Amino acid sequence: MCKPNKHIRFVDIARAMPSYSRGIQYRPCGLTNESLKELLQDIARQDRAAFRSLYRLTSPKLSGVLFRMLRDSTEVEDALQDVYVRIWQRAAQFDATRGAAMGWLIAIARNIALDRLRARPEARGLQQANPVSDMSGDSDPIDRLPDLGLNAEGQFLARDDARRIVDCMKQLPQDRAAAIQGAYLQGLSYEDLARRYAVPLNTMRTWLRRSLLRLRECLDQ
Amino acid sequence: MTDPARPDEFAPDDSDDLIAAEYVLGTLSRTERRAAQNRMDVDGGFAARVRAWESRFAALNDGYQDAAVPDLLPQIEARLFAHPVSTSPKSLRGRWFGFGALAGTVFTALVLALAILLGPVIRPTTAPLNLQASLVAEPQALSFAARWNSASNELVLTRVAGEPAPVGQDYEVWLIDASGVPRSLGLIQGASLQVAADLAPGLTLAISLEPEGGSPNPVPSGPVLAAAALTEG
Repeated sequence: MCKPNKHIRFVDIARAMPSYSRGIQYRPCGLTNESLKELLQDIARQDRAAFRSLYRLTSPKLSGVLFRMLRDSTEVEDALQDVYVRIWQRAAQFDATRGAAMGWLIAIARNIALDRLRARPEARGLQQANPVSDMSGDSDPIDRLPDLGLNAEGQFLARDDARRIVDCMKQLPQDRAAAIQGAYLQGLSYEDLARRYAVPLNTMRTWLRRSLLRLRECLDQ
Repeated sequence: MTDPARPDEFAPDDSDDLIAAEYVLGTLSRTERRAAQNRMDVDGGFAARVRAWESRFAALNDGYQDAAVPDLLPQIEARLFAHPVSTSPKSLRGRWFGFGALAGTVFTALVLALAILLGPVIRPTTAPLNLQASLVAEPQALSFAARWNSASNELVLTRVAGEPAPVGQDYEVWLIDASGVPRSLGLIQGASLQVAADLAPGLTLAISLEPEGGSPNPVPSGPVLAAAALTEG
């Protein structure tokens, strides 16, 4: 874990956000579930030093989540502040028996990004459907699907839950799987997806809902 | 958009689970998101469905890459620690639970304790207590005003903006106390509901959209459209 982060798309980030191109971030040591869990428990006891450590350890990842979804560096800065304010306030609600600490943190970041995306005027919402504006370069989510779950070290594929969702997604028609992945990672709405796949909104919703039920069935086996 | 709570082809149990899935996936509109968030606060079963979908999708999180970011800790700490109890206007925009709510609860509890201890001193017990709440469902401009008076012990809840519930559905009013378990106070059929109720500051009123005649369950079955705490006034 304590290695230079090879999969940072520095060129993409520099292009999309010139003000951020100060240097490649290195993934700091200590990003294990156990260490994050302990930090969250300390933060729940109002430990400000733990809060600072958590920020240094997790802000690159949570910024990555916000950039992917909001794609506006000013808004990302505002949203990142909201994220850490909420983390401080809700740390006591983190339940380690229910899942990984990083998953809990990312859920907070995603929810803040989604609330902001859905509050955008429709004109800005349209941007979401434009694949060219996706800074991470995966303009066609289908292309990325086979790689889903892989990182540079290949360690992710060893995880059972990751394997399962990859397998289950592959059982769906490819465009449906891509739609689900695009919605989750980029925060695409039904309106965005309907536009991207050129189908009526209700059709899109019915497609996706059927796929979600199939996915649940496969994952819960 | 069709009513997400009542799609034609999905079983009711699946329909609830699908709303939870869509909430986690993020495809819901702003109004639907807000309704799902309100529902999570009062419907533990629905909140559990959301958590289950969060863990089902969690493996997709590895699709997010790190990004460089300027150090925003000073701004964050200024927001959190400069005024530890008061909530910043920015934070008030969204749902506000966690520390703010906790601080509010503690404050309310202190006020209540003081009121009980000093009640006979600072307020003659015969003086009426007036409570009010404004329940606003965003962004459809649907809004309800609640007024209660200890003399009459009667709650009057009036729809002050927005449309009546769609045909075949009713607005149902819920009272949520410290236990967090909602209790139905009745339906708003027409423009208002008038009902006897023992209320106190800090209790929460919520309004959900239910099938005609009210929720088939002891808790809300449909989206919670608006919720607000009772305050003196």
